[in-house]
Amino acid sequence: MTSCSPARFGRALAHDSVLHRRNPTVKLVVLLAVSSALLVPVDVATPTLVGLLLVPAAALAGRLPARTLATACAAFAPFAASLLAVNAVTRDGDVLARVAGLEVTRTGLVVGTSLAIRTLVVGALAVVFTATTDGPRLMTSLHQHARLPARVTYAILAGYRVLEGLPEAWTTIRRAQAVRDPSRRRGAPLPRDPASLARAAFALLVGALRQGERLSVTLQLRGLGAGPRTVLRPVPLAAADAALALVALGACGLALLASWRAGWLLTWSTLGSSSP
Amino acid sequence: MSARRGLTLGDLVLLAVLAVVLGFLYWALVQLWGALQLAMGPFGDLAQHVLAGGWMVAAPLATYIVRKPLVGIVVEILAAFVEVVFLASPVGPMLLVVGLVQGAGAELPFALTRYRRYGWGVFVASGVSAALASVVMGTIRFGWLQQDWFAWRLGLTLVSSVLLCGLLARVLGDALARTGVLDNTALGRARRAAARPGAPAHDEVPVA
Repeated sequence: MTSCSPARFGRALAHDSVLHRRNPTVKLVVLLAVSSALLVPVDVATPTLVGLLLVPAAALAGRLPARTLATACAAFAPFAASLLAVNAVTRDGDVLARVAGLEVTRTGLVVGTSLAIRTLVVGALAVVFTATTDGPRLMTSLHQHARLPARVTYAILAGYRVLEGLPEAWTTIRRAQAVRDPSRRRGAPLPRDPASLARAAFALLVGALRQGERLSVTLQLRGLGAGPRTVLRPVPLAAADAALALVALGACGLALLASWRAGWLLTWSTLGSSSP
Repeated sequence: MSARRGLTLGDLVLLAVLAVVLGFLYWALVQLWGALQLAMGPFGDLAQHVLAGGWMVAAPLATYIVRKPLVGIVVEILAAFVEVVFLASPVGPMLLVVGLVQGAGAELPFALTRYRRYGWGVFVASGVSAALASVVMGTIRFGWLQQDWFAWRLGLTLVSSVLLCGLLARVLGDALARTGVLDNTALGRARRAAARPGAPAHDEVPVA
């Protein structure tokens, strides 16, 4: 829980960049489209090609330090590695090796590597998105451009306010519960057994629900969510946003097309036939 | 007041808070889970099914508290949204679709009882149907059907969902209600009405 500075939840990195200035709704839609397109291929080449095209371009456009991106992606590595491992040993196909009684197959390795790369590519793009997008600005934009109803927008913003305070509340609750434990030595680390974690989680939930109720009473008293409202800082939607969508989706489409023409593209349905 | 069918701002804020807190706890859990998953090698992916139900507990819990249609789906989509947009999930926006499917699965049994029954049986049914929805979704995303361990995946997800999604939701809901934070919700009103038999709560609409 210390891997990421908690105050940064949903806050863009402080610097300015091309991606920072783009419309958040457009960025979210592009991310959704690219990750949906990556559901199709299960070969190694296609997601690699899409990743090589999009991830460096996105990191450059967002002026994201390589180290920040690498640290964030390291958090997804175990998930990716376990996808690779489980697929390698559980799929039918040519047996390449036997490890501890499990058969490693060629099909398994291909699919596993593909799913692992897909995870890393989508994860890296998601990191670039969160690092260049302000939560409240995204909500304003979704309200303006995606016609998200005002009540839903305010509710998510209230939830966002609660989220910002959660890491601090978590630490406070954990310390307060530890300090009340009579058997605890001074300076000992916070207990990590499941029971004390569950107690802290429950207290966190209760406190957050109480804060949420106060927030919703305040919102209602001010008439927020009762009807249409104006927006304080409107988010622009410009030609540059269309250009971003065209370039990103075009690159993704070209990569898929190139992979298909080169005969590399495998899908779940062609998987069995191509590797007997 | 409970006659109003749509979700009020108060309901939506409650759902958003539930989604945010559970999303935050999942996120914290994943940070701890990563190392363990790596250590287990191929079995790490199988072991995730042991906790699968916990990812879906928001849906039956929210339905138990708010008792209106679509609540389970809305809270799961909100939780997915929080994870994608604020916490950068490696699954990406596809998580929104996963949230929709799992929320629909968990909410189905409550919808079939027209949001009137909240006995243990309905929560077990909710766990089972959430597990089935979740396995169908995973089969599409990761091709589980062509893998060797499909029966294990299905079995573990079923057990986990009944315990950690269905039954835990009711336990958690009752525990939260006892603290008093849910007094202004449908669950709080139902508990007060049950505590005073014979005297219906003033905001309950008699059903003909």
